[in-house]
This record gives sequence, C-alpha cells and structure tokens, in this order.
Amino acid sequence: MSERRVRMSVPERVSDLVIWGVLGLACALVVLPLGFMATASFMEARQITSLPYPWVPSSFHWQNFALALAGGDGQYLFLRNIFNSVLVCTLVTLSTVALAALTGYGLAKFRFKGRNLVFLAIMGTMMIPFETIMIPLYMVVLGLNLQNTYAGLVVPFLLNAFGVFLMRQYLITFPDEILAAARIDGAGEGRIFARIVAANSGPAVATLAILTFRSQWDNLLWPLLVAQEEQMKTIPAYIVKFAAEKTADEGAMMAVAVIASLPILVLFFTLSKYFVGGSAVYSSGKE
Amino acid sequence: MAKPTFEQKLGRVGWLFVAPGLAFFALFSIYPILNALATSFFAKKLLSLKPPRFLGFDNYARVLTSPEFWNSVGATLIFAAGSFVPLVVLSLGFSAFISTRTRGRRALQLVLYSPAVLSSVVAALIWMLMFDPRGLANQFVNFLAQTPGTDRHWLSDAGMVQLATIIVYVWKYIGYFTILFITGIGKIPVSSYEAATIDGAGKWVQFWRITLPLLRPTTILVSIMAMLQCLKTFSTQYLFTQGGAPSDSINVITLGIYNTAMRDLNIGLASTMSILLFAFMMALTVIQMKTTKSGDTDE
Repeated sequence: MSERRVRMSVPERVSDLVIWGVLGLACALVVLPLGFMATASFMEARQITSLPYPWVPSSFHWQNFALALAGGDGQYLFLRNIFNSVLVCTLVTLSTVALAALTGYGLAKFRFKGRNLVFLAIMGTMMIPFETIMIPLYMVVLGLNLQNTYAGLVVPFLLNAFGVFLMRQYLITFPDEILAAARIDGAGEGRIFARIVAANSGPAVATLAILTFRSQWDNLLWPLLVAQEEQMKTIPAYIVKFAAEKTADEGAMMAVAVIASLPILVLFFTLSKYFVGGSAVYSSGKE
Repeated sequence: MAKPTFEQKLGRVGWLFVAPGLAFFALFSIYPILNALATSFFAKKLLSLKPPRFLGFDNYARVLTSPEFWNSVGATLIFAAGSFVPLVVLSLGFSAFISTRTRGRRALQLVLYSPAVLSSVVAALIWMLMFDPRGLANQFVNFLAQTPGTDRHWLSDAGMVQLATIIVYVWKYIGYFTILFITGIGKIPVSSYEAATIDGAGKWVQFWRITLPLLRPTTILVSIMAMLQCLKTFSTQYLFTQGGAPSDSINVITLGIYNTAMRDLNIGLASTMSILLFAFMMALTVIQMKTTKSGDTDE
C-alpha cells in the first residue's frame, strides 16, 4: 500500500479527479434505468408518470406484483411461463454442458483421423448466426410435430460450438498420465470420463453453465416461432404480450421486469467472476 | 483383419465421444443453412399443401428489387452503425480509464456490466417507459437543454425511434465490450510502459503510442463482434413495434425475416433474406480473420 501513496503532482491530481468524475457519471447513467425499474415497480401508475419522476414510492404498492402474476386476464399465465423458462433453461444448460464436455474431451484427449477437420467444422458453425437458420429449424420442428412442446423449445440449443471450444481448451491441459494410470488400473473409458475428467472440470463447467443459462433466459425469437400457445410461452414472450396490451399498467410492467430479472441478477452478483471471465474466454475463442 | 492396436482402439473411443456432438451440429447447424440455401430458390409457402416450385434466382430478384427489403437494410445499417461507433469508442475509453485505477476496478466493471445480464426484452421494456412522453428521457433532455415541457417523440417519430433503439442497445452492451477491452489492455506487457515512463512520456501519449497500437487485435475483434451483434438485433425493435412505435424506420432485417415467414407465410422469400444476411455477416467475419492475421505478421 505504501508505495501506492506516491505524492501526485497537481496536473496528475486534476486528471485523476476528471477520470473518477467521468467513470462516476458513466456508472450513474448505467444504473439509473435499473433504479427506475426497481422504484417504479412499487409505485402506482399515476405516480410513475407524475413530473418530475419522484424516485421514492409514496407507498408500497404491492398490487403491481399481484397484477404482474395474475395478468390482465387473471389467468396467472405468468407463473406457468416462468416455470417454462426455468425448465427450458435448465434442460438446455444440462444438455449443453454434458454434450460439450463429451465432444471437447474427445477432441482434446484422443488422436484419430479427421480430428482436426471435425474441430474446424464445429468451430465453423459459430459463423452461422441463429437468425439465418431459424426458418429451416422451424420447418424441422413442424415436420416432427414438436410445435408448442418443450422438446421443440430446447432442441436447437442442446449444444453450441462455443461450449465445445471452451471444454476442449480446458481439457487439453488435463494430465495424460492420470488417464493412462486409470486405464492401466482397468477403468473403462466411460468411467474415466465421468469419475475423473468431468469431476475435475468445475470452473469450465460453471462458466459454460452460467453463460448458457443466461443467454437462454434472454431467448425471444425461437419461442416466438415455436410456442404460440399461451401455456407454452416463456418469460420474454410473456413480457412482450403484457407490454403490448393497451390497458397495461406501468407499475405492473416494471413488476414483471423485476420478477424476470431477479433470478439472473442474483446469479450475477453471487457468481460474477464466471460472467466476467466467460466474456473474456469468449473473446479469446474468437481471436 | 488384423487386430487393432491400442492406439487404434483409443482413436475409436475418441470418435464415440465426438459423435453425438458432431451429429448435433450436422442436424441443427449445417443441414438448416443448406436447407435455407436450397429453399431460397423455390416458391414455398408455410402450411401450403402445394409442392414447392423451382424459381431459380427469382426470389433473389424479387428481394433485391423490393423497396421493403432495402428499407430493412437501411434500418439495420443505421442501427448497426449508430450503435457500433459509440459502443466501441465509449467502451475503449472506459476501459482505458478503468485500467488506470488501482482501487474500485472490479466494482466499476460489475456496475457497467450489470445491464448486460438483463434480458433484451426487459431492457427494452424499461426504456419504453422511460421514453414515455412524461418519462425520464424527456425530463433528462429537457433538464440539460433547459427546455421544460418539450416532448421529443421518442417512440412516435421515425427518426427518434431509431435513436431510442440505439440508446437501449448501447446502454445494455457497453459494459460487456468494456470488459473485453480491459482484458486486452491487461495482456499488454508492463515493460512496454516502463520504457515510455523513463523517457518521460505522459499517460496521454502512452495511450496513443503504446496502448492503442498494441490493442489493435482486440480493437478489430471487438469491432467485428459488435457489428455482427448489431446486425442480429431483434428484441428491442420487436417490443417497440408491438408497443405501438412506427415500424418502418426500425423494421430491421431479422424482423423482416420473421414477418415474411410468420405473417406472410412466405418461406422461400424468408430463406432468401436469411441467405443474404448470412453472406453479409460471413464477409465481415472473413475480413476480421484477414485483418487479424495480417496484424500478427506485422509484429
């Protein structure tokens, strides 16, 4: 600490203050809409639109949350849609982690003809944006009669190329001696994978699981195509429907936003290093 | 047949591990893009019992001469350029500033990153209320410009609604790109700066002469990533149009594909638009790879 306390010259001190000022302002502007969401979710609609915006709710207007859950029609579809989102995200995450670990392990620790070609082909699929293949995928789902089913919602996302890349990069440094020793001891390949490799992939698995869960939580386009029944919608599609209703209550809209964001914000503030680390890994994968 | 060696056996096990993943990508990435390419040459309607009719390049001619398509291209490019420039410039600036901090670095990153964890729809919804005529956006601008009571028509004017979608996007992703730049700056060896400090170069000179040139690979990567991401934008525009905003000026290309397929039920035409979007994004990716490679050999 003491060598950090080098005395600063006057221009240095000024520039230091300016930098803190700019960063402070940036942070304030970034946080402001979140503060608006949180405070408005407790306000009556007419308080939200009073000028200037009051920032402090005059009373705790819990009816916003009741209305958010009940919906304009009182059918409590939001509860079902929340359940759908949780189920779909969980299934997608489990499958992505499992398949990415299998594929990544195969590519990292075995030599076989065509291995590099397989790896390049999988990496190449990163260049195919989902938006450009959603229509053929939708035709597949229609062909299999999977519209408005959980299977239809999850099937295009059971694995992604980034996951394979992440697991391969992580496992490539896994010590070969341990695998060789296990083989000499007579352990089967499946057992080696489950008991030794998977059991020692914690950080990579956590990063991949969190990134996958978060991006699926955000998914709007695919559920819009596949889940047209209200019962099968996920949270983002519910939000659009709720917000587009002409009679929608502004306080209730922000209550919906808060409910939709809470799980992911809790995840973010408890496991932030995986979010931040994950975006860094992602960029190194693209380099 | 000769008995397989231990190596060959292991190779087969490797194939077994890779096979499920490979099958997945073949079925859900490679087949769909080929299918989109094939469908783009046919007249094909959703839910129609008529067999698809071969059209050759007619769909392409139709898309490329349709004013609606060019309007979508225009809307997408305005959005992409309008979001991409502030995103890259601001995140580069913030990352350079944050990297000079010895304390509070982590907290700053977390705060700037926090909107990125929200769903795009939630982000758009929050801003939709803030862009209300009586909302915070008008209050804020009117406070700065000292024009009390003026409505900027954020969600009703064609040009302003473009600006509104750009603001939502920049707000949401600024922290994400800042973190990518901070990682890039962290990879620059400290020794590069030590020589400059001994020579008496100030922080400002160091940023332009050392940080920026050495950060080139990261800058190119972040620029292309930001550009590709902006081209795929959908949620904000979808929510705003569903909420009653004028759709023409924010009718971005993904929205066009969605509407062509789901509203007009024209799968052939939607596939053609998908392939054109794919070709454009592919071209950008190739440019990225080329420039990153040439950057490596320069050094």
